[in-house]
Amino acid sequence: MAVSVPTRAVGSALLAVMCASLLGCTGGSSSGTAAAIVMNQGGCGGTWTAHGGPHTFQIKNGDIGTDEVDLIDPKTSAVYAEVEALAPGTTRPMQLTLARGSYAFRCYPEDAGGVTGPTVTITDGPTQGTPAVLPVDNEVLLASVKAYRTRITAGLVQLATDVNKLRQTLRGGTLAASQAAWLTAHLDYERLGAAYDTFGDFADAIDGMPDGLPGGVHDPDFTGLRRIEYGLWHGEAPSSLAAVADQLGTDVAGLQKAFPTQQVDPNDLPLRAHEILENALQFELTDEADQGSHTSLATVNANLDGTQMVLDVLTPVMQTRYTGWSQVADWMSRTRTELASLRHADGTWPPVTDLDASQREKLNGDVGQLLEVLAPIAAIGDVRRTS
Amino acid sequence: MTTQPLDERPREDDASSPGSHGGRVTNRRSFLRGALSAGVAGVATGAAAGAGIAAGLDGGTPAAAAAPAPVVPFHGQHQAGVATEAQRNSTMVSFDVLAANKGELTDLLRTLTDRARFLTAGGTPPDPGISAPPTDSGILGPQVPADRLTVTVGVGASLFDDRYGLASRKPAGLTAMRTFPNDFLDAAQCHGDLSLHLCADNPDTVLHALRDIARHTRGAMQIRWQIDGFQSPPRPSGTPRNLMGFKDGTSNLHGYDTQQMNDLVWLPVGDKSGWAAGGTYQVVRTIRMLVEFWDRVSITEQENMFGRRRDSGAPLDGDKEFDTPNFAADPVGTAIPLTSHIRRANPRTSDTAGSRILRRPYNYNRGIDSVGNVDCGLVFICYQKDLATQFETVQKRLADEPLVDYIQPFGGGYFLVLPGVRDANDYLGRTMLA
Repeated sequence: MAVSVPTRAVGSALLAVMCASLLGCTGGSSSGTAAAIVMNQGGCGGTWTAHGGPHTFQIKNGDIGTDEVDLIDPKTSAVYAEVEALAPGTTRPMQLTLARGSYAFRCYPEDAGGVTGPTVTITDGPTQGTPAVLPVDNEVLLASVKAYRTRITAGLVQLATDVNKLRQTLRGGTLAASQAAWLTAHLDYERLGAAYDTFGDFADAIDGMPDGLPGGVHDPDFTGLRRIEYGLWHGEAPSSLAAVADQLGTDVAGLQKAFPTQQVDPNDLPLRAHEILENALQFELTDEADQGSHTSLATVNANLDGTQMVLDVLTPVMQTRYTGWSQVADWMSRTRTELASLRHADGTWPPVTDLDASQREKLNGDVGQLLEVLAPIAAIGDVRRTS
Repeated sequence: MTTQPLDERPREDDASSPGSHGGRVTNRRSFLRGALSAGVAGVATGAAAGAGIAAGLDGGTPAAAAAPAPVVPFHGQHQAGVATEAQRNSTMVSFDVLAANKGELTDLLRTLTDRARFLTAGGTPPDPGISAPPTDSGILGPQVPADRLTVTVGVGASLFDDRYGLASRKPAGLTAMRTFPNDFLDAAQCHGDLSLHLCADNPDTVLHALRDIARHTRGAMQIRWQIDGFQSPPRPSGTPRNLMGFKDGTSNLHGYDTQQMNDLVWLPVGDKSGWAAGGTYQVVRTIRMLVEFWDRVSITEQENMFGRRRDSGAPLDGDKEFDTPNFAADPVGTAIPLTSHIRRANPRTSDTAGSRILRRPYNYNRGIDSVGNVDCGLVFICYQKDLATQFETVQKRLADEPLVDYIQPFGGGYFLVLPGVRDANDYLGRTMLA
């Protein structure tokens, strides 16, 4: 466009970085307001100086495309802070605490490779500031995704096997046998750690809740494992649920067939680390999901298995990036121990609503703390550009 | 301990302690002027309290000129939120402690201290870069304003069991809340290991602080019960009204009056207080007001139950809110019935002077009940140095007062407000855990 030509010709400014102290005129370890630093084509951020301490950079995109800007440690390429999807002409703050060390801006123009600006060494201020974390890109997650797919594929085989057993049991077995077969199949599914869009439309077909359906539990679109649960614990004859189970079998087979061709967004894997248990807290520990079986605690236990599977495949990526990684194992273990202490000697679980207030507080506290330590995995594992 | 006449008790001068919230106030007006001329954040905690009360005594002169300082100092001999001026919004939260051992309990109290120190001062939350989700909920914007937030932490008798080896550390005066004759207690809304009272000028600040503290302490403590409260503005002047329409707290102790606080509220340094010196006993009573029933009662009956005029707050033998009722001149209760609330609560005799308490109540409103009535009432909070000779003595005098037909105490608890955090290296409960 004609308008853009003079801009580029005159300014050649892709990125302007203005430094301003958070502390402003009240002083502190940071610099005062520094002059804007302009990046020229071929560079990123230009020359800039700053003192250590809390700092806010004003990042301006003078380019005609959307940019991503990271502040990195040029020695390791670890990222201190980022501004994603910075639209042309817009300015966004990048806030962090600068410590003694080396810093450089790295710019990723929409349609070109990454460019690193000059290295700036901070020689004053704190020794520890905002931590730098090695970015995770698709390549880094490749092995994790592959291992995840292998495990899910195996889990789907087990699910299909147990759903078939459920179909047979519903046709000729007793209510008790049907309920047991249902629980086995349901826990197979919960162990896969299906949360949010993991399995697309198949998720709702296999394990969808009646919420959101106009007819609730009587809605014809209420199918799958939860519909069978509702029937088995609300006086419906097992054989009357055979058709629902057949549809379930079809849906599971469909997922088995589709899964190998479904794209697994690498971004999803780190998200699952906390999302599976977010669901467990929201729907199981509140007992909201229960359709009569009172097996919410069994589901939480299976969800812990699902979470562990995700953690296992992410270990190589996270143990070097997440400084709180050891806390994850600690709180997984505490949660497991607490849950196990509630289980009956015969392997069954009490209804979550039968727990007393102190038991629920302890379990909620463990899961809540576990979620807090799981959450950074998603932030660190967010797929970023590195080239 | 409180049977001793007031004027014979030794005085402690905590104004000598830097950062003390009490502050020695000999003249309200000169103190107020000092605050105005200083005009800086952080100086004016005691001054703001003085200003508010002075305005009340003057019959409602707006205290707007003495705009409250946005920061209530966190460090001091005593915790803030007791003697400091009551902010308009609050939440009272009771927690059960889940910490696995004494070390984790110590971590919990250190974490609570760190969060309280930051939240009450305000500032910019640290940015985690790409290492974690945002460290702050953001509901107060990128920079957290102090908004006169106070964080007041107490411990309940149940904390002193065998979990943390604290049984021998339990102050003799700390008991579990009793059930009184007119109570309708719900066990789920009573007691707790730890109380957290958050007060600030704005409700979003209160909620922000609760979310922040809960986020940092999830595995170590869980909320047992919680109730939000608000303090009404003067209508039209004087002491704020409760939800029965009556001014509530006209004859309250004054938080800025160091002598009153030392005589009746703060636990003094000495063997009797032990590690709790500088703390105070907190009573929380959540009291439903049956306002629909109340509103169907004649004004004369209402006023006889309280002993005050509803419109002005004046005692029934006086003209203005701050007139002192003369019970001695009315021995049979011709003007102010003997059963009235103000007469039972504070008979104003030398024998009962020691049972006075510092009240810091908030109104609550939390929806409707199963018959369509509004569930509202009072989060009664008071402070004293002795639960038995102060709150419980007052409560016994109030037993079966006519007002009990219109109120239902349903929850609450007794807590010991921990001594103040002295400085940046100190933490809540240090002396308890020592």
